[in-house]
Formats: sequence, structure tokens, C-alpha cells
Amino acid sequence: METFLIVTGVIIFIIIVMYNTLISKRNQVDNIFAGLDAILKKRYDLLPNLVATVKEYMVHERITLEKITELRSKATTNTLTDAETVALDKQLSSMLGNLMVAVENYPTLKANENFLHLQGTLNELEEQISAARRAYNQSVTDYNNAIQMFPTNFMAGFMKLKRKEVFSIPVMERQNVDVKNLFQK
Amino acid sequence: MKPNLASLLDYYYESMYPELKALEEKRLSTMATLKKAAFILLLISLILFFVLHQAFMFKPLHAALVSGMSAFLIFMFIYRHESAGYSMLFKDQVIEKIIHFLDPSLIYSKMSSISELEYQRSELFLASYDRFVGNDLVMGKIEGVDVRFCDLHVEQKVRDTDNKEEWVDIFQGLFFIADFNKTFHSKVVVLPDIAERTFGVLGSWMQGMNVQRGKLIKLDHPEFEKFFVTYGDDPIESRYILSHSLMEEIVQFRTKVGKPLYLSFVDSKLYLAMHYTKPLFEPILSHSLLEFTSIKDYFELLNMIVSIVNEFKLNEKLWSKR
Repeated sequence: METFLIVTGVIIFIIIVMYNTLISKRNQVDNIFAGLDAILKKRYDLLPNLVATVKEYMVHERITLEKITELRSKATTNTLTDAETVALDKQLSSMLGNLMVAVENYPTLKANENFLHLQGTLNELEEQISAARRAYNQSVTDYNNAIQMFPTNFMAGFMKLKRKEVFSIPVMERQNVDVKNLFQK
Repeated sequence: MKPNLASLLDYYYESMYPELKALEEKRLSTMATLKKAAFILLLISLILFFVLHQAFMFKPLHAALVSGMSAFLIFMFIYRHESAGYSMLFKDQVIEKIIHFLDPSLIYSKMSSISELEYQRSELFLASYDRFVGNDLVMGKIEGVDVRFCDLHVEQKVRDTDNKEEWVDIFQGLFFIADFNKTFHSKVVVLPDIAERTFGVLGSWMQGMNVQRGKLIKLDHPEFEKFFVTYGDDPIESRYILSHSLMEEIVQFRTKVGKPLYLSFVDSKLYLAMHYTKPLFEPILSHSLLEFTSIKDYFELLNMIVSIVNEFKLNEKLWSKR
């Protein structure tokens, strides 16, 4: 009888530990996603300002600017899923990248104090977003490992936990800039 | 112009050599005094040995131990006293000159160190300590970045199994503080990875259990993870501080110096501690300074420290820090 009680006790303890580990890993993912979302919002807040500032100067970049405005308004509606937020952010990042390259053709804009400030703030936000993406990926990897590895996978099955997708980090962010390659293009 | 070995060689012969000759005389006279002291002490200890052995009936081993130990202690006392004067002169005429050669704006103070408060704030070493000794403080701006560094020795008093007092090192080596190029509010500590290297996955699990240090941050740079273990308050901000490029630079620096490296990022500052087994800026009495090679090592060490700012790109400040 005693052995039976001890064994049951140990099994219940293990189940509780597994359950709590899985929940804490899932919450960690949500938590970091919320952090990422907050930084993305900061960038959305900055965009109208940026568009207004560059519009007068960048006559040939109308389409890019319109696209940025459109993406922003899509992103700020609250009905997006995590995956959609991720996809939108990716598009917006590449759009902004293009815009910053195009700025090189407008010397007067490059000297504009207001624009320089915006550009600086954007660069910094970009760094923070990149950090948040990396943090998110790590937490998702931890979570996915937990729900797929033995023995927590059985528990995860009961709890109906699903795999989550990691961000694909833009290749640009992972590599150092290869200047030689740039010139050859 | 970037200081290099060739320009140092010119500087050595033009600006340092005449004074080094005077320093060399001091060294030779110190050496002579020490040799004389050693000879006299040897004689005294021999006499003491015979007296103890013959008159007081000590066993030969005991007599040898007593006379040998007392002679050694007296010699160490004389050695410290004699070499201190030479060491002070050496710091004025060699270390300070090299520092000014590297960057004339840097201030050198041979008797000062960073404060205990700064040491504690870095949170690099959490063990309690009983002795905190530092010297050779260098401070100033390198490429517009505020830096301070010094030679530091922190020890703890422990009692061994026989209840005898013993001093144990917590840290000895270079302690370096610089303004970091990003603003941040959380805290990140990067320590040499011993557990994971030795125990593999089990070690990594043990690191996660370190409650004193906070959350374990796993980073997406395999080589960095091999060298270091990282703890931080905030997973996002930790990665904001440890960007891919910074991790790359830290790995390269670690490979270059080949010494255990401790880093922490607190209050928008970078703290770096590098472990050495000997004092950094002390002269070697048996080496003549009139040979360039004995100066070269000090130059290379100082140059390496000063170059941290460039290697970690601390001068490329982000927007909010400008």
C-alpha cells in the first residue's frame, strides 16, 4: 500500500512539473511576442511623421510611400494574428530599407534636421526589433523542443499544444555587409 | 597616426632612452644591494644553523628549517623595500610614457584604482571579499568614449581545515570600464563558460539553475555560446546589447587574448575583467630596460587595452547616446 502511495505521489509530482514547465515556456513565448509588438508599435507611430517629412522631397518615391502608409494602417488594425504581424513587419522592413537607399538621391533631404532625427530613431528601433526577433525565436525553439521531446511530448499532446513557427530573420541582418559584393552588383 | 611598434621604437630611442639610463643605474644598484643582502643573510643563516644544531641540540632538519625560513623572510622584506623605489620610478618613466604615447589625453595615476562601488556595481564577481587592492589607474577619453581601467586584486580570507587563515583570489587582473554605445536599463552578465564545456547538456541545465545570477540567456551565436554563459534580466534587451556584430567582436577578442574574459553591461556601461596571474604594470628587476624587448610587452598590453574601444566599436554611438 505504502509503495503504491509513494509511486502515485511521484507520478503526480512529475506531471505537475511537466505541466508547469510547458505553461511557463508558452507564456515566455507570448511575453516576448508582446515585447516585440510594443517595439513594432513604436515604429508604426513614427511612420506618419516620416512619410510627411520625406513626401515633399521624394517626388519619384510616391509608390513606396503609399505602400508604407497602407501597410501601416493594416498593421495597426487589431485583428491580426501573430503570423500576420510577422509577415507585415517583414514587408514593412524591406520597404523602409528601400526607402533609406533611395534617400541617397536627395541631398537636401539628407541634410534635413527633422529627417536625420527620424532616421536615427528608426535605426535604433530596427536594432531593437532585430533583438526582439532573436529573443522570440529562442523562446519558440525552447517551447518547440519541450513539446516534441520525451517525456514532455505526451503531456503536450494532452494539453493540445501546437508547434509555433520561428521568424525567418532577414539574411541581411545575419551577415556582415560584404562591400566587395555590393560594388559588383 | 595610429601608434605602432615601429613608431614606438623611434619614441623609445628619442624620448625615453636618456631617462632609462638613469633608471638602469637605479636597477643595477638595487640588484647589487639585494645580492649583498642575500650573501650576508646566507652567512647569518649558516651560523644560526650551526648554533642551533650544536648548542641547542636541534635536529639538523629543524635547525635548517628555522634558519632558512627566517633568512628568507628577512630577504623578502628587504626585497620589497628595495624594489618599491625602483618600481615607482619605472611607472613614472616607462608606463606613464607609454600611455601618453598611445594617447596624450589619458591620465595615469599609479597609486589609484577604480572604486569598490564600481567593482560591486559591475556584478561580475558576487563573492564577498576582505581585501581590495588596486593601482595603475588610467582614465580619460578614447575616441570620445569615457574609459577607466586599472590593475586590480580582490581577495577573500578563508580558514582551511587546520583553522589556518588563507587568502584566496577572487579576481586578479585588468578591470576595464567604458561607456557603452547604447542606452539600456536592464543588466547583462557574460561569464566564461566552464560548466557547459565540462559537463555538456547537464552543465547547461546547471547554469539555468543559478538563482544568484538571474535568467539564463541562450544566444544565437554558437562560438560565443562555446566561450561564454550569459545571464540577463530582460531577454529582448540582452539581445539588443549583445548584437550579432558585438558577439562576433567579443569572440575575436577572446580568441586573440586567450584569457578568461568577464563582461557585464550595467547602467549603459561596459565592465570588462580579464584574468591575469601576475601584476600587470610592475617591472622585472632582472631585465634591463635598455633592451627594447622588455618595453615591448608593456606596450602591447596597453595597446591591447586601449584598442578595446575600437574593437567593440564603442565609439559608434547609437542615436539616443549622441
